[in-house]
Amino acid sequence: MTAFMGRDLGLLIVAFCTLAWATESIFHPVSQLHRSAALEFFSSPDGHFGSLVDTYEALRTFQVLGIQKDAKIRTSACASVLETLKSPTSDTKHIFHALKTNSLLTCEINHEVFWGIQSGLTDSLNGASALLDFYYAIGSLVLLKDQIPEVSLNEGDANRIAQSIKTLSQSDGRWRLNSNNPESSFDAAGMAIEAIAGVISLSTSEIDPNVIDALKNDVVKLFDGIQRYDDGTYYFEEKLVDAHGYQGPLSVSASVVRGIAAFAAVTPESLHLSDEKILGLSKYFLGIGVPGSAKDVYNLIDALACINNLKGSIPLLLSFPASVISTTKNNQVKVKATNVLGSVIPNLSIKLMQIFTKGSKDGSVIDQKLKYDHETEVHVLETLPESIDIGSYIFSFEAVFDDPEEKKNYATGGRTKVPIYITGVVSIDNAEIAILDSDSESSESVKLDLKRENAVSLSANHLQKMKLSFHLTTPSQHSFKPKQAFLKLTHESGVEHIFLVGTSGKKFEIVLDFLGLVEKLFYLSGKYGIQLTLGDSAMENSFLRTLGYIELDLPDAPEKAPRPPPQRVDVYSRYGPKPEIAHIFRAPEKTAPAWLSNTFLALVIIPFIGFIVSLFGLGANFKAFPKKTTSAAFALLFHVGIAAVLLLYVAFWIKLDLFTTLKVLGLIGAFLLVVGHKTLAYLAAASSSSKLKSS
Amino acid sequence: MALTILQGFLISILWLAVLASGFSEDSPTDRRVLVLLDDFAIKSSHSLFFKSLEIRGFDLDFKLADDPKLALQRYGTYLYDAAILFAPTTERFGGSIDAASFLDFVDSGHDLILAADASSSELIREIAVECGVDFDEDPAALVVDHTSYAVSEEYGDHTLIASDDFIESDVILGSKEIKAPVLFKGIGHTVNTANSLVVKVLSASSAAYSADPNAVLSNSPTLIGSSISLVSVVQARNNARILISGSLSMFSNRFLRSSVQKAGSTSKYEKSGNEQFLAELCRWVFHERGHLKALNVKHHKVGEVEEPSMYRIKDDVEYSVEVYEWSGTSWEPYVADDLQLQFYMMSPYVLKTLSTDQKGLYYTSFKVPDVYGVFQFKVEYQKLGYSTISLSKQIPVRPFRHNEYERFIPAAYPYYGASFAMMGGFFVFTLSYLYTK
Repeated sequence: MTAFMGRDLGLLIVAFCTLAWATESIFHPVSQLHRSAALEFFSSPDGHFGSLVDTYEALRTFQVLGIQKDAKIRTSACASVLETLKSPTSDTKHIFHALKTNSLLTCEINHEVFWGIQSGLTDSLNGASALLDFYYAIGSLVLLKDQIPEVSLNEGDANRIAQSIKTLSQSDGRWRLNSNNPESSFDAAGMAIEAIAGVISLSTSEIDPNVIDALKNDVVKLFDGIQRYDDGTYYFEEKLVDAHGYQGPLSVSASVVRGIAAFAAVTPESLHLSDEKILGLSKYFLGIGVPGSAKDVYNLIDALACINNLKGSIPLLLSFPASVISTTKNNQVKVKATNVLGSVIPNLSIKLMQIFTKGSKDGSVIDQKLKYDHETEVHVLETLPESIDIGSYIFSFEAVFDDPEEKKNYATGGRTKVPIYITGVVSIDNAEIAILDSDSESSESVKLDLKRENAVSLSANHLQKMKLSFHLTTPSQHSFKPKQAFLKLTHESGVEHIFLVGTSGKKFEIVLDFLGLVEKLFYLSGKYGIQLTLGDSAMENSFLRTLGYIELDLPDAPEKAPRPPPQRVDVYSRYGPKPEIAHIFRAPEKTAPAWLSNTFLALVIIPFIGFIVSLFGLGANFKAFPKKTTSAAFALLFHVGIAAVLLLYVAFWIKLDLFTTLKVLGLIGAFLLVVGHKTLAYLAAASSSSKLKSS
Repeated sequence: MALTILQGFLISILWLAVLASGFSEDSPTDRRVLVLLDDFAIKSSHSLFFKSLEIRGFDLDFKLADDPKLALQRYGTYLYDAAILFAPTTERFGGSIDAASFLDFVDSGHDLILAADASSSELIREIAVECGVDFDEDPAALVVDHTSYAVSEEYGDHTLIASDDFIESDVILGSKEIKAPVLFKGIGHTVNTANSLVVKVLSASSAAYSADPNAVLSNSPTLIGSSISLVSVVQARNNARILISGSLSMFSNRFLRSSVQKAGSTSKYEKSGNEQFLAELCRWVFHERGHLKALNVKHHKVGEVEEPSMYRIKDDVEYSVEVYEWSGTSWEPYVADDLQLQFYMMSPYVLKTLSTDQKGLYYTSFKVPDVYGVFQFKVEYQKLGYSTISLSKQIPVRPFRHNEYERFIPAAYPYYGASFAMMGGFFVFTLSYLYTK
């Protein structure tokens, strides 16, 4: 609960501070920026703008901004105006736009053409029930009246039409487009007021004063529905955002302004519009700056032109070419008094009424008149008041007319408060940095020149202190306290520590007691870079300087000491190719060299050869080989079989696998069994018979 | 008549098909963009920015942030491909949308542009925090820089910053150098050190700090120096891209059109760098640059074409992949020299940089290690600003079969010799034993 209250209180304080500081933003009148934007958006390389609406919008914008139009545009636009007016199929909307374009171009059109459309317009006016029908027909008739002054409405018609438009109004000041549609809008309100203003101007006699009073009431109600931004700008915005044909606040506000301006032009009395709201509206348009589309540029410029003709409440703008005043360049506070379109309003003087120091509510009363420079048409504050040093202030200006009667024509909005920054060069003296041993005087002290980079190298342990001090003085020899006075220690590993440099009177001093800071420094010994940043919005020589470095010898970190925060990995090094990896294959087993194997192979073969040689030596023979053909065949097959088995083993070594070998071996084995039995049986029989013989 | 109805029907079906397809590699163009505003005035005051998007073919749908009919998806499909949140002060969204909805929106691969401003709401900060960006918690704080501010007649308090500390990345900011500094007025943020997906695009100078410009500092500010990020981008793991800026006004017509002169510099630029900076950055955010796709991953033994189901240890293998980059209109071959292939089982056994033919094809060959098991061909490509390529293809590696070992080992010849001599001896012995008389 308390936490919430505390937070709310904090918010309240913030809100109050904001209120106390609520200065209006500076608004500049229509400028070159608008002109270049208009030229960009309404560019017509072939002298052609597309539809008549576009043509009108372009021409109207150019007219207000004072841009010379191309002769080609006139030719092609006039041709299309004439075509529309002559065509029997043109509806009132097209005729309206054609006449509007014509009013800007004054094309050479025969009066008969105008008479031709006049009757059609009157007919459609009599049959009209929807607001747009009224709007286009009346608008066209008003424009026709400029061409042929005889065009008018008689009293009965005028009152009847005004009444039937009036029935579409709503209690909140908005209007409906027709009686069947319950949706009402500010946009329609603007058109309705413009239409009734047209009826009043067309009427041959005085219109019913009740209608005018009711309309005035409507205007007041309309202005009750205006929206406000925090910076003092006012605008109209439709409540129903999703409605079909939604119009942005710019075009809605422009439509209302057009209506009000038309109405103000035809009533002799004042409309009693609030100065604040009219100024706010014009500031809204000026605050938009450069809009993003041709339509918006037209709406903005046309609305500003309409506001500028608003009788009795022409907005008076005090604009400031510069709000940053440099004392080194001898800049002066300049004020320009203009209307919204940027033309200078003569016969008035500007007074500097009050100056507030930032942060305090009460301002010193000055009441100083500014000098008017006829050449540049600006009011200049020639000398700043004595008490003003560099810093940020709020100046309060007021426009005073030479002729007090003239004030009634303008909406001045009272005093204009503007933030003014007086800047200058702050001098820095007596800068020195020192390492102190406990509380005794300095062991080494180095003078610094803060006008350039320094490269002092210091060293300290955790029992010592570092002291940095300097003086700041403003050009008028006052002490100066900048907003930003930071001392930064950066460890080699990238860990940064910021210390605010405090002030005692004129002297800025910071003492870093490393004993108390070891934990904050994460017990990181090593080289620390020292940087000093001094900056303020009033200080022209704000800087960030490297002072040098300090080698710190701090004790080892105890176990539970906080670890330094992880440093961010450099984005460029985080990616990129990794080092290649090649697989290391297992080395082949180490074997004896070939010559050795071959030698042993030879050695192994020798006994075999010896065996054969000795066999012959012992007199081995084939005498016992069977003589009988069948037995000889079996013996032969038996030995061929054995040879086949042995060759099979050779083949097994060379290429065969175990399965094939066993299969073949099985077959040969079976064969060997048979022939072996026959052969051995024969040999056994032979040997037993020979034994018998011998015995 | 019937024909025209049928045509209309077909066209509407086609159109629906276009609507339904969100972000995909087959058509990586984000086209439908939801723009949420605090106030419709932003639509006209920031119209140049919006117009530049519309010219590039984006279909912007402007809505008030508290519009009760606000919806991001219908029947489970998203209505938009991307969102622009220009509603810094909105405390809660209309409809049933909240911060989590936008995070889900990003999680499903959609892009987001978020602009905060001084006095940003908790809601906007929450979304930013979830993206790895922490805005200064002090609601009154602005980035102040007394050394590299923009010389201005209007903002004398040095909160209008002219920054030219851009990230050096052609893919994020385009290859054309941004000469003029970018104007910025708003709040600063830091990026989470543990988060490697966030990248600072525009940083403050080392003399900047973030504090209430009207108050006197009592403590050292939390955000200071070049660790302050003014504009950051995030590329999520699903390649959704997010742009986070601490200033809404940097998108405004006024800043886009304003001339700029940095304090202490003599060069004055007719136009600030904002337009180029934002156009290039949006190109990146909307995947018109730096979005890669990999195609046709192939591997086979040297000299063969067919992809085997298994490799043997010590086989010679060829691997190839094609990589293309989306240029906004078509897929262009991607040319780089740092694509790497890993032959991976628990850890990479082989890591090789791929060669390229400069037309998008990357290839290499290597010998399968003499370790058997289930390996993967892996291409993990991460590069600043590019979408991640992560390819992996599993392939088993077997040892030698019993008959694939070496048969004629010279060192064994004495043993073979002994065997065969023995066999020969046996043959001769049988003959002599059986038949000698």
